Amino acid sequence: MNFSEFKFLLGADPRSREPEFQRARHSSAEFEAAASEADRFEGLLDRAALIPAPDDLFGEIFTISQQPVGSAGRRRWLPMALAASLLLTAGAAGWIWNMNRGWATVEEYVVDHYRHDGNLVPTEVGIDQVQALFAGLDMQATPALASIVNVIKYCPTPDGKGIHMILNTESGPVTVIYMPGTRVVDREMMAFDNVEAMLVELQAGSAVIIGPDQQSVSALYSFVQESITPAPGNS
Amino acid sequence: MNTEASRQARFNQLAEAYGTDLYRYAMWICGNDALAKDLVQETYLRAWKALDSLNDLKAAKSWLITILRREYARTFERKVPKFTDVENVVIVEDRELEPEDRVEIRQLRQAILKLAAKYREPLLMQVVLGYSCEEIAGALDISKSAVMTQLFRAREQLKSSLQKDGVTGNVHELF
Repeated sequence: MNFSEFKFLLGADPRSREPEFQRARHSSAEFEAAASEADRFEGLLDRAALIPAPDDLFGEIFTISQQPVGSAGRRRWLPMALAASLLLTAGAAGWIWNMNRGWATVEEYVVDHYRHDGNLVPTEVGIDQVQALFAGLDMQATPALASIVNVIKYCPTPDGKGIHMILNTESGPVTVIYMPGTRVVDREMMAFDNVEAMLVELQAGSAVIIGPDQQSVSALYSFVQESITPAPGNS
Repeated sequence: MNTEASRQARFNQLAEAYGTDLYRYAMWICGNDALAKDLVQETYLRAWKALDSLNDLKAAKSWLITILRREYARTFERKVPKFTDVENVVIVEDRELEPEDRVEIRQLRQAILKLAAKYREPLLMQVVLGYSCEEIAGALDISKSAVMTQLFRAREQLKSSLQKDGVTGNVHELF
C-alpha cells in the first residue's frame, strides 16, 4: 500500500481492521504520523457527531401524542390507546415504575429493581455508549469494563439516576448497578431469587454486583471498584 | 412467555438498544429536536406494526434506520427543515469540554451541517451508527467504492472547513 492509498483509506474508513491497512499504519514514520493525525481528527469527529440524546427519550417520545394538537409543529396522530401500549411495550414502564417509588433500604431497592429489570436481553453495546452514559453522571468506566458490557441503560436508584449494566464475564452474565448518590456497607452480601449480590463502595457512590453465585460476584469486587471512577476534574 | 409478551419483549429490546442511535441520526438529518423525536416515534410505531417481518435481530439496527429514512423522506419530501436545534442541543454538553476543544467541535458541527447530503449521510452512518462501508453501500444502494469516495471527500471538506475557520492544531497538517 503506497502513501496515497493509505491516506485515502484514512479518510474513507479510518477504523478499518484490514490487516494490510493495520500493518501500513506502522510501516514508517510518515505513515504513523498520518495515522496519528487521523486518529485525533476521528476523536474530534466522534465528539462532534455523537450529540447527546435526552435521558428520558422514551418518556418524551411517547407523551408526544398527549400534548395539544398543533403546537411546536409536531404531528400528533398517535392514538392514545396505542401510545399507552407502546409506552409499556418500549420499556418506558421503567419510568412509570420509578414514579412515587420509595425504598426503605438499599437492599429493598436491589431486590425490587432486579425483579423488575433483571432479565434484559443482551445486545451489542459500543464502548462509546458506555462512556457516554457514565460521562452523563460525571463518571468514567475503564476500557476493560466497557468492553464487556452487553446491556447498559440509565435506571432509577434510591438516590437518583444510576446505570444498569449486564457484563459478559467468564462465569456468565453478571448485573452491575451503579448508584451515584447511595452509600452502602462495603462488601455486604445478599441472596434472593437464586442470585447473590454484593454491595461495593466506590470512590463516588456505590454499586451492586448481582450474579448466579457468590464466587462469580466476589470475583468482580475489585474489578468493579477500580473500573468505575470519577471523570477527570470530578474527583 | 406467551407470544404477545415475547413480541413486546423483542420490541422493548430494540427500542432500548437503538433509541439513542435513532435520535442522533434523526437530529442530524432533520436538525430539529421536536421533529427528530417525532421521526423516532413514527419509526417505532412502524417497527411495532412490522415487527414480525424482522427475522434476524442482528439486522434490527439497519432495519430501523431504513424505516426512519423512509419516514423522513415521506414527511419532508416537499419541505426541507431548517437546521436549528443541533447547536442548541450540544451547547449543554459543550460546557464540559475544554474551551479549545469546544471551538473545534462547534466548528466541526457547523461544517457537518453544511456538507451536501450525499456526503453527510454516509459520514453520519459511519460515525453515528457505526456502519461499515459495505453496510452504507447497502443502505444507500450505491457501490462500496462510491461510498468510500464520498466518505473521503466528506472528511476532506470538514478538515478544509476547520482550516478555513482558523482552528489551530495538528489536524491541519494532514491536509
